Amino acid sequence: MSSANFVPDDSEAERLFREYARARDEQVREQLIAMHQNLVRFLAGKFANRGEPLEDLVQVGAIGLVNAVDRYDAERGNKFSTYATPTIVGEIRRYFRDKAWSLKVPRRLQELNQAANKAVDALAVKLGRSPTVAEIAKAIGATEEETLEAIELGNAYDTVSLDSRMSLESDSAPMTLAEFVGGEDEALKSLQQYGDLSAAIEALEEREKAIIQLRFFKDLSQAEVAKNLNISQMHVSRLQHRALASLKKLLLEQK
Amino acid sequence: MSNENDRLNSQTDREVSSEDAAATVTLTIPCTPEYVGTARLTILGVASRMGFSYDQVEDIRLAVGEACANAIERAKILKVENPLITIRSLVEPSKLTVEVEDHTDNPSGEGIDQDKPAAEIESMNSQELGALLMEILVDEVSVEPASGGGTRVRLVKFANES
Repeated sequence: MSSANFVPDDSEAERLFREYARARDEQVREQLIAMHQNLVRFLAGKFANRGEPLEDLVQVGAIGLVNAVDRYDAERGNKFSTYATPTIVGEIRRYFRDKAWSLKVPRRLQELNQAANKAVDALAVKLGRSPTVAEIAKAIGATEEETLEAIELGNAYDTVSLDSRMSLESDSAPMTLAEFVGGEDEALKSLQQYGDLSAAIEALEEREKAIIQLRFFKDLSQAEVAKNLNISQMHVSRLQHRALASLKKLLLEQK
Repeated sequence: MSNENDRLNSQTDREVSSEDAAATVTLTIPCTPEYVGTARLTILGVASRMGFSYDQVEDIRLAVGEACANAIERAKILKVENPLITIRSLVEPSKLTVEVEDHTDNPSGEGIDQDKPAAEIESMNSQELGALLMEILVDEVSVEPASGGGTRVRLVKFANES
């Protein structure tokens, strides 16, 4: 698009904005939105190489435009395009954020990378020589810049077999990737033990079980528990102590 | 000759003394659209090493591309012969600074704010939008006259808390 027409004639826009400010006429609003479509297209085009269809970006950008038309105050002396650009770009960037595209882009790069690798082999056979970047780009339907990016970065996102060989030093015995993969997280195991806990509580004698339940599940104080079970608070304290000790023992035995 | 030596020395001094753990990547390209892609690729290489997310890297690249596009516009308007752009990326743990400096000899030294004939107003529109985009995409933007004529745009993007 030439740069000539993405910002419409200021004086005409100004006149319409003044009219819209006065009468809030729906038709004037439509007209203002329509005449700034090219600004949205221009800005959306800047983000077009990020793996989302341009038309989608134009649509979310248009939401920003509509908001900007509704909120713009010509009296403040800002040009509308200056006012609307952050709003439009904001919508487009939020769209990328919401789409979790940081996951999607590596995937796209990886696909491009695989396509490029295939194209390199196929073209080498066909041409009898190593293909140029321009030839690869043409074969996979990407720009040269995208092709270079994909070749450079796509490798980093390649899925790798656990049995693939890694060697840190060329003369050391080859190791496989699996040997570098970390072990189980101890903290995660403790999660399982919470499951075991209920079994352990079941194994307690009746009164201990009652105390544990009232103290820790119903959040009663020792005094309240004492009242409830009609025993002294001292006794509750002792029983609670014993119950916790046997729970600990039971859990350790299960391990 | 001695003048040039002075300049080289002072440049080295600045880079060594002010930034201990910093790395600088400098690229000079012809001030023409064909080479903006080369600049964008370089920034991709530099920024993706710094723990920026993909959209952040793309934002920086877009901002640098806009700075280059503005330099190209200016060179065209000022009819500079064989103009060059220098893109200097300063990598620090806390931030990435990219300076886009055009050597479009600008007699007024006033950056992009100069008298504009009517025919250039549309190009001013795209330059203004480019400048606006830069403001949106990176954390800090400053524009100043470059030494020896031209304009220097400095773009700063702060690293994510790790």
